[in-house]
Amino acid sequence: MQKIQPRFNLSQLIALLLLLGGSAIVLVPLLWTISTSLKTPAEVFGSAFWPTKWQWSNYADAVTAIPFFKFLGNTLIILIPVMIGTVFTSAISAYGFARFNFRGKRTLFLVLLATMMLPSQVTLIPTFLLFKQVGLTNSFLPLVLPAFFGQNAFNIFLVRQFMRGIPRELDESAYVDGANRWQIFTRIMMPLSKAPLVAVSIFTFMGVWNDFQGPLIYLNSNEKYTLALGLSMFKGLYNVEWNMLMAATILIMLPALILFFIAQKYFIEGISISSAVKG
Amino acid sequence: MNNTKSERAGYWFILPWLLGLVIFTLGPMIFSLILSFSKWDVITGVESIQFVGLDNFKAIFHDELFYQSLKVTFIFALVSVPLFQVASILIALLLNMRSRGMKFFRLIFFMPSVIPAVATSMMWVMIFNPEYGILNKALAWFGIQGPAWLQDPSYALGALIVMGLWGVGNTIIIYLSGLQGVPEDLYEAGQLDGAGPLRKFFSITLPMITPTVFFNLIMGIIGGFQYFTQAFVMTNGGPLNSTLFYNLYLYNKAFMEFDMGYASALSWILFLIIMIFTLLVIRSSSFWVHYQGDDQND
Repeated sequence: MQKIQPRFNLSQLIALLLLLGGSAIVLVPLLWTISTSLKTPAEVFGSAFWPTKWQWSNYADAVTAIPFFKFLGNTLIILIPVMIGTVFTSAISAYGFARFNFRGKRTLFLVLLATMMLPSQVTLIPTFLLFKQVGLTNSFLPLVLPAFFGQNAFNIFLVRQFMRGIPRELDESAYVDGANRWQIFTRIMMPLSKAPLVAVSIFTFMGVWNDFQGPLIYLNSNEKYTLALGLSMFKGLYNVEWNMLMAATILIMLPALILFFIAQKYFIEGISISSAVKG
Repeated sequence: MNNTKSERAGYWFILPWLLGLVIFTLGPMIFSLILSFSKWDVITGVESIQFVGLDNFKAIFHDELFYQSLKVTFIFALVSVPLFQVASILIALLLNMRSRGMKFFRLIFFMPSVIPAVATSMMWVMIFNPEYGILNKALAWFGIQGPAWLQDPSYALGALIVMGLWGVGNTIIIYLSGLQGVPEDLYEAGQLDGAGPLRKFFSITLPMITPTVFFNLIMGIIGGFQYFTQAFVMTNGGPLNSTLFYNLYLYNKAFMEFDMGYASALSWILFLIIMIFTLLVIRSSSFWVHYQGDDQND
């Protein structure tokens, strides 16, 4: 088995070259964005890939030209309650579906799965009108409230699958010891379901950080904009300076990329699971 | 512990979701259905909703922009879905080889799919810029005068497809897990029968990953109909409506022209199209999807 097989090595080499080529296609646009963000306006029009002198001040200019920290604050005002609400409601609903045999459970669970298939456009307009009717448009509430009602079926499904794998003896012995259902949920099921709940938090972070259509529809005044929305408006409103625009673009990418590198396992598993669920 | 009274406590635990289902899903669905048969100028109150029967749908079927948006969306889906599948399978096959550094490559290919769509869009607006974008600069090295991409009606949609290809990381990961589910002994058996790499791919790998192809096909079609951020940020449907995606048109009708009845009707047509395509793919799947053992029941 140790014999060198030249044909095998050749195919390995070709594969490696193809992968390197593919990686270059992925990386060059990113590197070029970084380099543009560090150029002077004159260099942006030039043909050199890298700037002669890295203009870090573009970043300082970008965060003042668009109210970056204001937008970041707005994003966080939405993000934090949405994460808390989503984690809590997916856990509690998952517990209900995983551990109780109430009437109609199967039907309700099928309804839950069916809602995953419903395109969001169908509920978008009436939900907007609902919030408009109660005077909540141009506030963060329409973007936050649904999170407290478990409005992401996939999260509930994910946590419920995990909870079903927790041995029932654990809650039964706690029950014998006098714990009630609520205590079993908060002290046993929640802590034991840390892994899927971390996954849910990560997906939720990415969802809110990336969300564009939601803020676009609900937030009308500049001082309410999120980062994603603010960046796109920056392109339209100001006399565009590409280097600053690219600096702001990099700043918005960065948290998502950092989270991805820290928690890549969850991203990759999450995608595999979602395809297994829906496929 | 198993008496029915305590089992009923389950309702309390799923209550938040159940309320949400009524407030944010079922209620809006009914309201939306009513709206699609109504005319309503949102600025006035609820009282001014006017039932107009099938008027919205009749108007839609005479609406040129509706057909344009369908055309754009279908062209995008028909070109990009197969293109993305082939590219993803190729890269996933390479990434599935057992050798060092694959984890690193996997990270690189997946990276674009975690970048916020707005950031990706801004980046590519710059890349596609006809004068100082890197794409046309690179083409110039080969003596090719690149087009104006996003400003040219015959290239704008193509440009968005190219950009989409850059972000196929998601699909690659799905194929990679599909490939890892192919039993090793099949390849060994193939080896014994003297099958070459191509033969092994078409007779073993491809049939074994058809469930994944099937899933991606459905998701690709649905994705085309939900495409919004990139089209809104980069071209806003232009030039000459050449990138007027269905979802963008729906947004314009609802939130630019405030024609909520018309837009609701559009949203139900969208739902119907997605349903038909999903069912079509599911019904036809028995002809070409190979499930291993009884996996489909899981």
